Amino acid sequence: MYLVALALFLGGFGYLLYSGLGENTSYFLNVSEALAMPPKELSKARLFGTVAENGLNRPEDALGVSFTLIDKDQANKTIRVDFRGVVPDTFKPGVEVIVEGGVNPASGAFAANTLMTKCPSKYQKENRG
Amino acid sequence: MHVTAYFALLAAMMLCLAGAVAALAGLWQREYGRLALIEKGHLLATAAVVLSSAILTVALWRRDFSFVYVAEYTDTLLPLFYTLTAFWAGQAGSLLFWMLVIALCGVCFALSPAYKSLSLPTRHAYWMFFLTVEAFFLLLLTGPTNPFLEAVPPVPEGRGLNPLLRNPGMIFHPPLLFLGYAGFTIPACLALAAWLCGERASFAAAARNTTILSWIFLTAGILLGGWWSYMELGWGGYWAWDPVENASLIPWLVGTAFLHTSIVERRTKALAKTNVALAVVTFVTCILGTYLVRSGVVESLHAFGEGGVGGPLLLFMLFTLVVLAAVLVAGAPYFTDRVKPLAGLMSVPGFLVILAWLMLALSAVVFLGTLWPVISKLWSANPVGLDAGFYNRVCLPLFALVTALVAFCPLLSWSEGVRDKAGLGVAVGAFVGGGVVLYGLGLHLPVALFAGAASVAAMATVGYVFLRQRHARSRAGALGAYCVHLGLALVTLGVAFSGPYQINQEAVLMPGRTMEVGGFTLTYKDLELEQNKAVAISRAVIDVSKNGQPVGVLTPERRIYTGFEQPFAEVSTIPSLGDELYATLINSTEKKAASLKVSVNPLINWIWIGGTLMCLAPFFSLRRLRAKAE
Repeated sequence: MYLVALALFLGGFGYLLYSGLGENTSYFLNVSEALAMPPKELSKARLFGTVAENGLNRPEDALGVSFTLIDKDQANKTIRVDFRGVVPDTFKPGVEVIVEGGVNPASGAFAANTLMTKCPSKYQKENRG
Repeated sequence: MHVTAYFALLAAMMLCLAGAVAALAGLWQREYGRLALIEKGHLLATAAVVLSSAILTVALWRRDFSFVYVAEYTDTLLPLFYTLTAFWAGQAGSLLFWMLVIALCGVCFALSPAYKSLSLPTRHAYWMFFLTVEAFFLLLLTGPTNPFLEAVPPVPEGRGLNPLLRNPGMIFHPPLLFLGYAGFTIPACLALAAWLCGERASFAAAARNTTILSWIFLTAGILLGGWWSYMELGWGGYWAWDPVENASLIPWLVGTAFLHTSIVERRTKALAKTNVALAVVTFVTCILGTYLVRSGVVESLHAFGEGGVGGPLLLFMLFTLVVLAAVLVAGAPYFTDRVKPLAGLMSVPGFLVILAWLMLALSAVVFLGTLWPVISKLWSANPVGLDAGFYNRVCLPLFALVTALVAFCPLLSWSEGVRDKAGLGVAVGAFVGGGVVLYGLGLHLPVALFAGAASVAAMATVGYVFLRQRHARSRAGALGAYCVHLGLALVTLGVAFSGPYQINQEAVLMPGRTMEVGGFTLTYKDLELEQNKAVAISRAVIDVSKNGQPVGVLTPERRIYTGFEQPFAEVSTIPSLGDELYATLINSTEKKAASLKVSVNPLINWIWIGGTLMCLAPFFSLRRLRAKAE
């Protein structure tokens, strides 16, 4: 009785896990790692990087921002990011951000649907990658 | 003072080590005369820890910036209340607090009738394990994460407390978690001791009250964390499946499994070995939580930074698991003919076992999901992570099943089969009826609908049992349990609605303009500015109406605290038991254009109401251990 129930339970559980792992995964990447991958594999990814000083384009009265994201370690590796949505006001050149979205195959730019600035918490004594 | 406090911790560590060795020697030689000495040693160690905690408290109170810790987390502008509670604002202080609570719990437990009911060898083994745990924490506090470092040269002004932590929710969230974590040390040590020495009475009985209390504190801590996240972080939700949140959820899940399987052991003497394992694993997952947060293995939105404790914590967890395995093997001969078999599946024990499976499965999911970026490196060149959708997809059906178990379990018998046929009718009727009504109300997603129907059924069952069966009212234990489950049903209902049916809208408005969100009309009136020494506030004033009737005023704020560059959002809500309106001011310009994020959260307050009930009701269940049942 317990074995049957356990088998049923594990079956259902395994299915849930399998489908979740199939659909809800995304790459967690630095900019340099993302550039090293073919763009069509990057339909879903989360990128970590720093906002560049140059190339920041923010419309006055609309939502969204376009900017260049630089790799944390290699300053020559960059990717263009287009974000639509409310820009957090901790967002500015030089801050570390996390963007979620995918590479637009046509333009090669990263279309982000989430933009988070890393929490500058006092808890964080050093900046780790 | 720095030196005094540090040496007090060092002395406490020596005392704990000496006590653990004395307990081991006593066990080895079967010579139990030194018990009183060990107990006194623990008292003395506790006194030393209390002394150093007091020194830290006084330093905080006097804002003595010669303590690095005080300078890191407070400044002269910080109100006294937040200054004192900065005790647990950082890693070193929170570990000291954890240690303090473990020591005090140990003292309280040693005074309890439960402790007195144990045999002499078990008491020795208990102290051996317990003092080893304490020695480990003191090792951390005297080594890699010392709260008593002296600032040389002294700094004139502190760096101030992170404004996000300046909220009553965040002030009490960490200590509650630590109370829970610390409390679970005692069941774990008791489990190991009782199994190792072949204690006659079940350790689950002796550990009952500590387990329940620890569970209460852990639940309250997690709940308060969710509430803080909702009220303070301003993103409109209460749970984001961030590693930091997951870290506190894992011990809760395993602890809940243990709480329920230990009921089976106390009533039917089955599952003795399972309980030993679960009690210890609960303790290990408490450490695991700290490890995940402190070691930097996973990338989190709010990583706490490496503090040099990752390695020791990992080693200690592995060590504890090895000890558990060794003790299980060593003690097994005592229990071969003592353990009774488990009743059939369609019985209360059967359902409690299923619940334990669900909880363990959930904790495995959360654990794997949190570590997935690390695990996936085994086969993928680039780390693969999981988004919140993964947890929602996998965990929510399991939680819905938990609620369904709660609805039907009270109607089963302890041996086999259904005890109360009429009650089963009520539960099934409520399940179907509730499902139909909720579907009519617009709850169409299958999992949310199932969860909603299950929670209606659970409430009906609790109500029915409460009215019809005298034991539910008269026996304190049962009363507490039924109320907790009622609370759980309310939480499930709140999650089923507020999760999938939240309405979110973002807009940039000029004064005088309006926006529509979920049937509410919001008119942005004006931006007010306010400034004093500690903080500069900009406040959007928004009139809210529904169908032409005024509902209230929302006043979300952005605050810039002295010493911090970034602005912090202060959320504003119009509280309601139905649709709660929630607004954050994300940005504002000099021309008074305001970027607003507004959401409508249906039934969200039932989560806090149900959760509060879950934290308060178990107090009914506490009771003195009956003097020697045999």
